[in-house]
Amino acid sequence: MANTESLENVVLELRRGVIVLAALSQLGTEQYGYSLLKQLSDLGLEVDQGTLYPLLRRLEAQGLLESVWKLEESRPRRYYVISAEGKKLLPKLKKEWAGIVSVMDRMLA
Amino acid sequence: MKLIDRYVAEVGKRLPLVKGRKDIENELRSTLEDMLEDRANKAGRSADEAMEMELLKEYGAPQKVAETYNPNPYLIGPRIFPFFMFILKIVLAAITLGLTIATGIQIATQSPMSAVELFSAIGKGILNILSACMAAFGNIALVFALIERFAPAADFKMDEEKEWDPASLMKEPKPQDVKAWEAILSIVLTFIALSIFNFNPHLIGIYYLDEGGWNALPVLSEAFFRWLPLMNIGWIAEIVLNGMLLRTGRWDVGTRLVSVGIKAFQIVIIVLLLAGSSILAITPESLAAIGITDMEAAQKLSGMAHQGIRVVLGLAIFGTVVDIIKSLYKLVTQRNLESA
Repeated sequence: MANTESLENVVLELRRGVIVLAALSQLGTEQYGYSLLKQLSDLGLEVDQGTLYPLLRRLEAQGLLESVWKLEESRPRRYYVISAEGKKLLPKLKKEWAGIVSVMDRMLA
Repeated sequence: MKLIDRYVAEVGKRLPLVKGRKDIENELRSTLEDMLEDRANKAGRSADEAMEMELLKEYGAPQKVAETYNPNPYLIGPRIFPFFMFILKIVLAAITLGLTIATGIQIATQSPMSAVELFSAIGKGILNILSACMAAFGNIALVFALIERFAPAADFKMDEEKEWDPASLMKEPKPQDVKAWEAILSIVLTFIALSIFNFNPHLIGIYYLDEGGWNALPVLSEAFFRWLPLMNIGWIAEIVLNGMLLRTGRWDVGTRLVSVGIKAFQIVIIVLLLAGSSILAITPESLAAIGITDMEAAQKLSGMAHQGIRVVLGLAIFGTVVDIIKSLYKLVTQRNLESA
């Protein structure tokens, strides 16, 4: 029981660390929150909505994302897209990620 | 959509006081509507109340959802928590030590006591310590919570966050170095004490206002002033010592020994003050002059004042003994360093 709980906690921590990179990588074209959530899920990364929406707001506050409200199908939706600053940061984050994967692959081989 | 609107309103009520609360509510409503539509499409029927309820149940309790938008969910965050613990430990230790000594002195000065009275006094002392510690904890936590809430991280850098130079480890510790500000402060305060006690003793009193303006009720008795010449010797010696320290900039064996001698002399004076009749001139009659005419209350107050001053003198002895031990320790370690 304790082992299952520990595993869940570690997996949660691991995922939490990659959500920023995942979200930034998928926001090259603008998307609203729910469509991003579904896209991440389709690609295999399940993210809790309670984690994603506050994260998007935080990334916007940090200047890495921009957002705009649009009226579609008689419903207003908030669209997010990566900002110029976010675009500058993304390659660095990708490089960092590649480095981590390579190191971990060597460690776990 | 009635349920979704109510749900969004419930979340809105619980959102932290951050900018764009309305915006968060609008985005949440839009998301829930998208999710509901998605579910209806998958089920091949239009959305109904049961589907809406199922969705909201999965999305979570409004309180939990609102909490995810809190950018600072800590009362005292990890940034200042170590400093909070540092201050808390010092304050709680000081309170516990101070009140334990005070209780001890109180018990010692009230003897002989019956066993019941003794246990009652100890019990009261423990309760006092507990309640004082709890009050201190509450106040310190409140101050740190306010710092957490209102001091932006950038404006409140802790020592650990400042750039640290490992070269600082190379510097030899110099316990013999004199802190100039300490010596100057000591000289200034000693001069003030000398001038007030010798030339303006009328300034030491309980001030009260009557028809004739401000008056002072003298608080120190003849028993105090009897020992003033001895105190003057101690104070002048203290000024001379600090002057020497300022000139040389370092403690040496001689100045350390002089310092220990002065402190031992101060303990003798305090013991003399404690041993004789009370150094306070406060009596129920004198309190009547400042408007406390209820004899019983005046007697109680006067008794408390006499008891209180004995506690203060007891604490002063304790503090001076600690100072002497510190000085002797530094003397020994300094001699070891010099002979090494």
